[in-house]
Amino acid sequence: MTDTTATTFDVRDVEDVGVIDITGDITPASDDALTTAYGKASQDGARAVVLNFTGLDYMNSGGIGLLVQLLVRANRSKHSLKAFGLTDHYRQIFELTRLDEAIGIHEDEAAAVSAANAG
Amino acid sequence: MEASTTRGAANPDPRRLAGFTLRAEVGGERAAIERVRDAVTPLGLPSRRLEALQTAVGEATMNAMEHGSGYDPDKPVEVLVTATETAVSVAITDHGTGVDDRDVELPDIDAKLRGDQSPRGWGLFLVRSLVDDLEETTEGGRHTVTLTMRLEAEEAAS
Repeated sequence: MTDTTATTFDVRDVEDVGVIDITGDITPASDDALTTAYGKASQDGARAVVLNFTGLDYMNSGGIGLLVQLLVRANRSKHSLKAFGLTDHYRQIFELTRLDEAIGIHEDEAAAVSAANAG
Repeated sequence: MEASTTRGAANPDPRRLAGFTLRAEVGGERAAIERVRDAVTPLGLPSRRLEALQTAVGEATMNAMEHGSGYDPDKPVEVLVTATETAVSVAITDHGTGVDDRDVELPDIDAKLRGDQSPRGWGLFLVRSLVDDLEETTEGGRHTVTLTMRLEAEEAAS
């Protein structure tokens, strides 16, 4: 973990589901980039957005706050959020904060995309 | 805040592993995380508990820099890492007076999703959840948070 990691939020379309590939950090500094990526991933009538945490390097409490903001947006738009690629540590963080009850956590991309398409 | 929460016995003769001072600046907690990790790694904490300690140190340092020192570069944050045969402790000292527990709202994801709470406010909750012991003292205009992780209790932070 270093503070020089370039953070990116790249959006891919997988079987009509928007997947956001997170690389680097999720901190309050990520707000604009993550919001923009979510906007792209959720356009064209998508019912769900998948967050790929495989490349996550560091997330602090401010980053967790951003995910909560994303959830609020998703709920308003009747979208659901799915996720995969979390390390054991960040799974623990999701469990402690109960984010795992609001964001469906899956083992891999195929499972997350399948769940997204299933509604 | 003078309150303390103690679940583990303190060893009277702790060994100093590292001590350093950091500028209070946005993102400054990253240096604390890395230097504490380097200091603690030889102790052989299981990776799950080491990562929990790192995150707790990051959040406590961020709180110290933001709330204790107000991100004022003239009010640095001090970090001291010590160990006994049974536990490792990280003391983080800022120039504030701490926060009264009564002023800290317990974060609740449901309330946040309803808009009844701010999306933020997870830091202290994470610190308390991730370490075995948290102690706070305020003295002479300095506020210290001491995080302790037992070395032998592999599942304590689960």
